[in-house]
Parts: sequence; structure tokens; C-alpha cells
Amino acid sequence: MSKLFRNFLILLLLIMPTTVLFVEQARGQNVAFAQDAMEGEDDEVTVETETPDDVAPEEEASLQGKEGEEETVEEQTRLQPSPDADTFILFTKPNNPLELPAGKQVRILIGFTNKGNVDFLVDTLEASLRYPQDYSFFLQNFTTMTYSSVIQPKRQATFEYGFVPSDSFSARPFGLTITLNYKDTEGNVYQNSVFNETIQVVEPDEGLDGETFFLYIFLAAIVILLLVGTQQLVSNFGRKHLTKPRQPIELGTQNSDVDYDWLPKETLQGLNKSPRRSPKQSPRQRRNLRSTGSGEE
Amino acid sequence: MKHWLASLILAFVCALPSLGEEESGARLLVSKNILNQYLVEGRDLTVEYKIFNVGSRVAFDVVLNENSFPEASFGVVSGNLKVTWERIAPNSNVTHAIILKPLKPGYYNFTAAEVSYVTSEESSERTIGYTSFPGEGGIVPQRDFDRRFSPHVLDWLVFAFMTLPSLGIPFLLWYSSKSKYDQPKAKKN
Repeated sequence: MSKLFRNFLILLLLIMPTTVLFVEQARGQNVAFAQDAMEGEDDEVTVETETPDDVAPEEEASLQGKEGEEETVEEQTRLQPSPDADTFILFTKPNNPLELPAGKQVRILIGFTNKGNVDFLVDTLEASLRYPQDYSFFLQNFTTMTYSSVIQPKRQATFEYGFVPSDSFSARPFGLTITLNYKDTEGNVYQNSVFNETIQVVEPDEGLDGETFFLYIFLAAIVILLLVGTQQLVSNFGRKHLTKPRQPIELGTQNSDVDYDWLPKETLQGLNKSPRRSPKQSPRQRRNLRSTGSGEE
Repeated sequence: MKHWLASLILAFVCALPSLGEEESGARLLVSKNILNQYLVEGRDLTVEYKIFNVGSRVAFDVVLNENSFPEASFGVVSGNLKVTWERIAPNSNVTHAIILKPLKPGYYNFTAAEVSYVTSEESSERTIGYTSFPGEGGIVPQRDFDRRFSPHVLDWLVFAFMTLPSLGIPFLLWYSSKSKYDQPKAKKN
């Protein structure tokens, strides 16, 4: 029994961490918490500086004082998130924040909760695409949105933001940083890195764009031209080699469709009155008739 | 015994992160968007609200209260300005839309609506939040919009009437001369 229980515990120990990992991954698919300091921002590093031997103790003290001042200035410039503020991000378009379509609008909702006892003024939201290996290297800066909204204690607010990754950035990884700047009533300025991850900018899935449409039309036109050409060749070949040349048959003149409308009425009457010539008339008789007719006139 | 105790502690430590997640409760993000491309005086204006529960628990008694549209400036065509949902499940969203009619032209600042909800069934304390806000938008006067986008039927009719003489008179002259000189001939049988 104890052996079985021990085996069960070992199995539990093996399964538990993996389940926790998978659950965390599934949860963080559409939603990303980003409360940590931005990538590329190193922790404070203490650098030991050797003071030269010839420096007097008074001068050394003044040097140390200057160093201390510099450190305080650095601390002031590096903005941190407020412990009384809680931020949340949701990508509404597209649903997967790790794959953003190039040249298409990305829409996000940022939730802000004031957990403290003083008002917060949410000032601006800025986003940028950066080089994933070096976050200090900016590749595309997006428009800074100014909200200037006051959030009272124990209240929540939602802010919407949209941006369009450049068309030229498709099929490459980028570091996407979305930063929310806010301050309290005492004038302390805070900065929350709401989203700070490496994302992939992908080509948008379009069913049929203009380029491919006209490519298909061009191909269809070529096919039709080829078909017409082959049909012409076949017909020419058939005419030359397959069919026998017909002998021309003379039909003579046919008087059935002669139009007499253009002739004067007198001539028409004369034609109608004149007796029908027999086919047996000789050329000599015809000549005589012609001469007598001309003499009468 | 020691092994069992150690393994139990380890299992508990592994389970802690997921337990912590469950405790976070309901969390709502609410967006407010105007769907119209043009905001026109006297024409329908559609406002859409989307409520996303991004928390790990159900949000109870969710109330969306829209009081940023004064009655003097906007008339309600359809939809409710105050809506209640009994519960919104985690990792789900609901959509609500209202149709309004702007009564006055000019610039108007579209501000946030108020959302309140209870994070758990036991607690009586309501969490109050605000939607995103579309910002300032210009409501175009009806006359200006019609000047740009209406089919101008009356204008085209007037234009047609005015062009009738310049087209009709030459046509009548041509037709009269044609009928005079181009008489059809009788066919012979």
C-alpha cells in the first residue's frame, strides 16, 4: 500500500509542474500581464572605481558626493510602475497577440485599476516595434495616444488603442512594447510596460488580391489566344490538304431580279409592247431590226 | 514518513501558482465604439458596447449605465441606455448596441459609460469601472450631408427639362425633313 502511495506521489510530482505550465500558457494566450521592467533595461550595477592615490581625502569625499547625486538622477529618470495601479491588456483584433498581420489594424484594450487612495491621471499610451535582440533599437514608432483621464480610487477604466504594423515587416519577429504613462495627484510620474514580448508580424490571409486576380485573367487570355491560333492552323491545314478544289460552274445572266425602276416610263412601255423575239433569229435579222428601229426614230 | 512529507510540500508548492490565479476574480474590460462612418443630424447613429471578462471567475450583476447622451441632443431610436446582465462567464464577452438620433449638428465629445459589477457571489461590494471613450466627433448637418451624398433626383429632373429644348428642336427639324423627302415606295407584288 505504501509503495503504491509512493508511486502515486512521484507521478503527482511529475504531472503537477507540467499541468501548471500548460494552464499558465493557455491563460496567457489572449491576455498578457506585463508588470516587469522592460527588456534591455539592466538591473542597477555597482561599479567599483579606484580613486587615485594622489587625490586628497576632501576631494575624494566630494567625488563620492557627485557620484551619489548622479545615481539619484538616474533613479529619478528610470520610471517604475506604481504599486497601487494594476494594468491588463487584451488584444481584440487579432485574437492572437503573438502573430500580428502586416498592414492591418491591430486593436487592443487596456484595463487600468486604481487600487490606492489617491487619484491617478492616465496621461499617454505609446507603442513601438523594436529589434528583438536589442530593445533600444526602434524599428517602428506608433502614434502616442493622449487620454488625460482621471481614475478615482478603487475605480477601473478601459482604454482602447489601435496601430498598423508596416507592410514591409511581414514574416519577421519583432519586439512589441506598449507603455502606459500615468501620474498621481502628488506629481509622481509612473510608467507601466503593459505588453513587452517578441511577436511575429505575418502576411495577412487574403483570399484574392488584385495582383493574383489579374494574373489569372492574363493566363486565361493566353489560353484563349492559343486555342484561337490552333483553330486557325487546323482550319487552314484542312482547306489545303483535305478538301478537293471545286470547278467553277457558270450560271449565266439571270433576268429575274432586274430592276427597271430607273428607266423612263416611255421606254418601259415600248419594251412591254414589242413582240417577243424568237430564239431562232439570226444575227443578220437582228442587225436589220436594229437599223430599222434607229431609222424610225 | 519524511519522504511523504517532502513530496506533499513539493506538490503543494507546485499547485500554488494555479491557486493564486483562481483567487484573482472577475475582471471586465469594456469598449465603446461608434459604428457610423458619418454622424449626421436626424439620422441613425449606432453605438456598440463590448464587455470582456478577462478574469478567472464569473462577474455577477453587471450593469452598464450610459448617461453621456443628453436628451436635448440625442433621441433614442432603439436599445436601452441602462442594461443588466445577471452573469458574464470568465473568458467570454457580451455585446450591446443602442441606436440614437442626433438632434443637433456640431462637435460632440463622446465620453465613457459606467460599468459596475460584483466580483463574487458572496461579496456585496460593487466594482465600478468605465468604458473606453470614442472622443470628439463632428455631427454633420442634414443639408450638408444631402448635398454630398443624396442622389439629387430633383436636380437631375430640372437638368433634363432644361436640356429638352436644345435636344428636342433639332430633332423635330430633322424628323420633319426626313418625313418630307424620304417617302416609302410601294412594293410590287
